[in-house]
Amino acid sequence: MANVTTGSAPVNYNEEVVRKFIIAAIFWAVVAFAVGCYLAAELTWPELNLGYSFTNFGRLRPVHTSGAIFAFGGSMLFGTSMYVVQRTCQVRLWGGSALANFIFWAFQFFIVMAALSYVMGFSEGREYAEPEWHLDLWLTLIWVLYAIVYIGTIVMRKEPHIYVANWFYLAFILTVAVLHLGNNMAVPVSFFGAKSYSAFAGTQDAMVQWWYGHNAVGFFLTAGFLGMMYYFIPKAANRPVYSYRLSIFHFWSLIFLYIWAGPHHLHYTALPDWTQVLGMTFSIMLWMPSWGGMINGLMTLSGAWDKLRTDPGLRFSVTAVGFYGMSTFEGPVMAIRDVNALSHYTNWTIGHVHSGALGWVAFISFGAIYYLIPVLWKREAMYSVKLISWHYWTATLGIVFYITSMWVAGIMEGLMWRAYDAQGFLQYSFVESVVAVHPFLMIRLFGGLFFLLGALIMVYNVFKTIRGPRSAASMLPNAALAAGE
Amino acid sequence: MDNQTANSIVGFMMVPLGLLGLLLAARAVDVEMEIFGFGLVVFAFLFGFSTIKRVYDHRDAARAAARKEAGHG
Repeated sequence: MANVTTGSAPVNYNEEVVRKFIIAAIFWAVVAFAVGCYLAAELTWPELNLGYSFTNFGRLRPVHTSGAIFAFGGSMLFGTSMYVVQRTCQVRLWGGSALANFIFWAFQFFIVMAALSYVMGFSEGREYAEPEWHLDLWLTLIWVLYAIVYIGTIVMRKEPHIYVANWFYLAFILTVAVLHLGNNMAVPVSFFGAKSYSAFAGTQDAMVQWWYGHNAVGFFLTAGFLGMMYYFIPKAANRPVYSYRLSIFHFWSLIFLYIWAGPHHLHYTALPDWTQVLGMTFSIMLWMPSWGGMINGLMTLSGAWDKLRTDPGLRFSVTAVGFYGMSTFEGPVMAIRDVNALSHYTNWTIGHVHSGALGWVAFISFGAIYYLIPVLWKREAMYSVKLISWHYWTATLGIVFYITSMWVAGIMEGLMWRAYDAQGFLQYSFVESVVAVHPFLMIRLFGGLFFLLGALIMVYNVFKTIRGPRSAASMLPNAALAAGE
Repeated sequence: MDNQTANSIVGFMMVPLGLLGLLLAARAVDVEMEIFGFGLVVFAFLFGFSTIKRVYDHRDAARAAARKEAGHG
């Protein structure tokens, strides 16, 4: 815990819970990336399913997606939000250390239980919301307590202004609560059994699923991580946000538009046409706030671009903003019905998802991790700047292999599935398209392994940093540990 | 709400959670619920006791710091 002098009395920040979440995030990142690589190998060589139910692609896939999104991404969001809200409000986390500790351990318990239930074959069958009803209720408890702690801290703040990063984190916390409750409405078969059935059916069920699914991307993987961007890029670059007014515009337009875009996942289905067009239109409109935010993030570097040469941690954050711009351009393009007719059900979608997940979510997280580790553990700097650079280049190369192979594979699949011969018959059988993409699946695996290697380099660097000596400033009695402030 | 009251509330919360876990494990109709129930019991037990330990660790640290300040350290 740091005693930080803020003009009047020193603030005793709760940094212990932040440290725990950051370590958990690093651990889950490696797990999620490793499972992802194994799944990529299963898709390339199906014999690797091994014939066991628990190593089957269908059961392991949610372990990978939940591991990456909720375990890694969620731990990063919990940790950084609790760090940012304390620093920007100049007060200790509200609710006491035991409550913060409970949120941490209860969330880790949720992750382990969810992963176990997936491999045992228990699932609601809803993408990115696979846990059964009892785990949903457990997560609801955690989330409500998290919201109380976060909002309580804001209410008790000593700073009159609520910094924009907190607005993004708040939107993430409140909207994910609504999405989670709405999408997981289910009727359990028994109070003492895990199996449950959705309260919705047919097209309505699909619509609710993708209202949730798309907004999990919008509010979990975008709004929350934008909060991270608006705090850690200015801190690392030591520059103010390029345009604070633009950040407010970015916030309100993003949260208004995102919530309507879900139907673009259900083009050419039984969903009414007007709903599909509504989803497509709002998706295209989303382009504007997304790029406004991207420009704001990048332009914050004005006057500090030279830091990219010397601070590879900042390079991660800035590259992440670049990938954010790229995937928020690609997303609306893919939401256009005619484009979607080609891209849907192909590997292009997988490539798009990973340009966002690896390029944006993971990279902005890595930037925050490299900023936070020395601050939280009171070290002068990371153990090795060179290793951060190695991590950066291996991970970037991995993403390039991943997304380019998936683009090529996806567009090829889409074109093969719609090709007709002179007699009007389909030119290719489905299995021919599977054979055609095989080399690209191997390249994808190669890219994933590069990304995993980068994460392992980060683990070593973090381990050596934490094991290293404390900074001289932190040894001073009652020192104003204004590290990072 | 002061830290001690909040910590006590969280600590006492482990009692109903642990009991709920026991109930779920005892009446479970499938292996998933059984594991979850037992997991909840173990979680509540470990978390409850670690909360108690942290309170005493904190008190010991405060006492040691006060003694050091008084020049007895």
